[in-house]
Amino acid sequence: MRPEIKEYNYDWMLGSLLKTASGIGNCSEKEIHYLLKEIPYFRGTLSVLLREGEIGFRFIRMLSLYFENLLNARDSGKKVAAITFCLSPALFHAMNIVPVTLEVMTGLAGLLWKRGAYDYLDYGCELGFTETSCSSQRGALGAYMAGLGEEINMFVCDTPGVCDTNANAFAFASAYLDKPFFQLNYPHTIGDDKTKQYHLDDYRDLITFLEEQTGYPLEEGKLRQILMEVDKQDDLLAELEDFHLLKPNPIPVIYNLFIYIGRFLFSGCPEYTALLADMLTAVESNAKTEKSGLYSGKENIRAYMCYIDHYTLDLNFFNWLDQHGIAHIGGILSRNFRDNAGYTANLEKSTYGIDTSNMTTMLSSIAEMNATLPMVRSIRGPLDGPNMWLEESLSLARTYKADCIIYNGTPGCRNTWGMVKPFAREIEAAGFPVHIMYGDAFDDRVETWESTKTRLDEFLSIRGLL
Amino acid sequence: MMKQFMQAATGLNHPGITQWKENGGAIVGYSCSYLPAELIHAAGILPIRLRGIETTGMDMGDAYFGPYICSYPKCILQQAAQGGYQMLDGAVITPGCDSMRRLFECWRKAGEDHQGVVPGFFYYFDVPHKTVDHRMKWFVDEIDSIQKAIETHFEVEITVESLHRSIATYNQGRKLMRDLERFRTQLPAPISGTEAFAISIAGTTLPREEFNATLSNFLETLENRSDKNPENPKRLMVIGSISDDLDLIKLIESNEKALVVADNLCFGVRHDAEEIPVTDNPLEALAQSYLGASTCPRMFGQYKERLAILEKKVESYSVDGVILQNIRFCDLHGSENGLFERDLEKQGIPCLKLEREYGPLADTGRLKMRLDAFMERIS
Repeated sequence: MRPEIKEYNYDWMLGSLLKTASGIGNCSEKEIHYLLKEIPYFRGTLSVLLREGEIGFRFIRMLSLYFENLLNARDSGKKVAAITFCLSPALFHAMNIVPVTLEVMTGLAGLLWKRGAYDYLDYGCELGFTETSCSSQRGALGAYMAGLGEEINMFVCDTPGVCDTNANAFAFASAYLDKPFFQLNYPHTIGDDKTKQYHLDDYRDLITFLEEQTGYPLEEGKLRQILMEVDKQDDLLAELEDFHLLKPNPIPVIYNLFIYIGRFLFSGCPEYTALLADMLTAVESNAKTEKSGLYSGKENIRAYMCYIDHYTLDLNFFNWLDQHGIAHIGGILSRNFRDNAGYTANLEKSTYGIDTSNMTTMLSSIAEMNATLPMVRSIRGPLDGPNMWLEESLSLARTYKADCIIYNGTPGCRNTWGMVKPFAREIEAAGFPVHIMYGDAFDDRVETWESTKTRLDEFLSIRGLL
Repeated sequence: MMKQFMQAATGLNHPGITQWKENGGAIVGYSCSYLPAELIHAAGILPIRLRGIETTGMDMGDAYFGPYICSYPKCILQQAAQGGYQMLDGAVITPGCDSMRRLFECWRKAGEDHQGVVPGFFYYFDVPHKTVDHRMKWFVDEIDSIQKAIETHFEVEITVESLHRSIATYNQGRKLMRDLERFRTQLPAPISGTEAFAISIAGTTLPREEFNATLSNFLETLENRSDKNPENPKRLMVIGSISDDLDLIKLIESNEKALVVADNLCFGVRHDAEEIPVTDNPLEALAQSYLGASTCPRMFGQYKERLAILEKKVESYSVDGVILQNIRFCDLHGSENGLFERDLEKQGIPCLKLEREYGPLADTGRLKMRLDAFMERIS
């Protein structure tokens, strides 16, 4: 890593940028106009967020608070845990542990800095972490392994057997930094009693591990408080999700990002609830006037992202969707499979409910909630198994009347790359045109955005979608 | 004897296989060392490890797998889709890693395009990634399920007694392998790394009784072997990704000063070293041994234990240098090799990290150059 990069703290840089941005809400239009001139590499992303008005600011403030919590964790006597996006942070909040969701941390560098997380991505490789590993963890981990972030006290993942490259990143970093490691482990099945019991047993082990690390027991009252907040969030999400059914879709493209980043960072916290409530109000308003969430105002087609979105500079991918009049009807990241969500009607055996009656019911609830998160739910077993990736994707694409399905990931996603061709074949056979993006959602050097865009345009053109 | 081992190690359809089929025996291939071979053996079926050797192209592998996938499962699929596994009556795929687990889907899809390439018995065998009580229970249940599936499909009965017999037979082979390993610790070692590795591989594909008998006879000859290895060779250990590439070991030993005396590979003795106790509950015993004693990096969070194993081997085999190889896109071994390199070099143990492709050694020249440079370094 270049010496000058080592002069700056990764968390502080991202946090201070967001803190500054969160103050823009008080600026006049003229001030914002001049401000944007001064931030050429943050302008694209900020403009998209500003376009959302108060909701955009709320999102920025939420991110800023996240960094404030992280940067003050040590002074507050809190432990910091590196976690992954498909592990709910709710339990960590309930136990006063500050969760660092690595994929969000890498993604933010890509969205906010011109050089993205390149230096940190490469630093991981300098240490022996494979260049073929997943960039989503490697970027932020590069910073933490270089000692350029807040001290990580423990590494917790839930991806062995779901995404081994993800789990491997956590295992590597914990060994490199000599920090405790815990893995939740998922079987290849979901929905049956035996599997549910396993989820619960394993989740109990996670709680024991966290209690050992913090020295404090999990408090029933605190867990209940967090789960009740999750319950509110799920209600709001279920309502929001229903609006995807409308044509034109009244949900702005960027809301998808807000939904899942909020969940990855603040599940069970009031900041996320408030954001969702505001989003729902805005969407309801659009729906009343039959207004599309797209800024062009015209919905041409509807795309289902069967995996993840693309997170490099200027929110290019989200802009591209908007500019082409493509309604983003969600993806693997945006849904949580709560049993009250309309889209789960055909996938009912792999959902979760929340019962806060007592500790036993709460543990069962949170264990099942975690088991239905992205990837953990549907990439754990064979492609065409019950409730797995193919069934989930087809069900959601049909429910929301997708015109096409787009796969995007990172080259490190061994698990989906291992089956994406048979997957695409089945999806095409079911009548949905499929586009496979070969770039890296977190690293534009693998394929430049311009190339990615050209291929996307070509897909739409050749398949007669636009 | 060595010819028999070499034939088995370098050919999918070696005489041991052909003879087994001529006698009307069934064969089940399995993709990973977590499947208790004793279970298949106890059913009177020949268990063999699935391999991707003798692959001459990758069109089939690439047609079903995505581009960022390890070449090992691609080569297996290539062989399967080309008809190289016609001798199989069954195949068992395990989630050894992400690439390997998707062989299950890709092979099935290939079967939709190419008739007859999917064996009649095609089974996904789940393997946990940790060994706590509830996971071990899950694994015992998985073994129980596959036992029932084998019994139903092949119309056989696997009894406790037959399992005991199979465990005893496999244990005999394990003891013989340990005897072989003791020869490798000697100075000078009376056996080359190529020969020893061929024996290990043969153990995964020859009928076990035949393997045991041949190895037993071979070990007797080692006692008085006259053609010892060169004086004062540099003693090497090879570790890392799955490998049944005999040519890789040959390539290393083509340097006149190099002798591979130890390995930590899943086709080598890494997995097959400890005997399994014969108990009233053989499934439990198999689970404890196959999962509980695993030293594969897919068992995340056990790096220190694995490093300790290497350190012990370095000492007991008098190793001068360690070759850490990984197949491209094998992140589990590739990354752990980075940690091993850091920690072993700190202790003064020279290491060479090699990334390669599985299959025909297309990049022999590059590998040879790096290996020779490493030998210069440690000589």
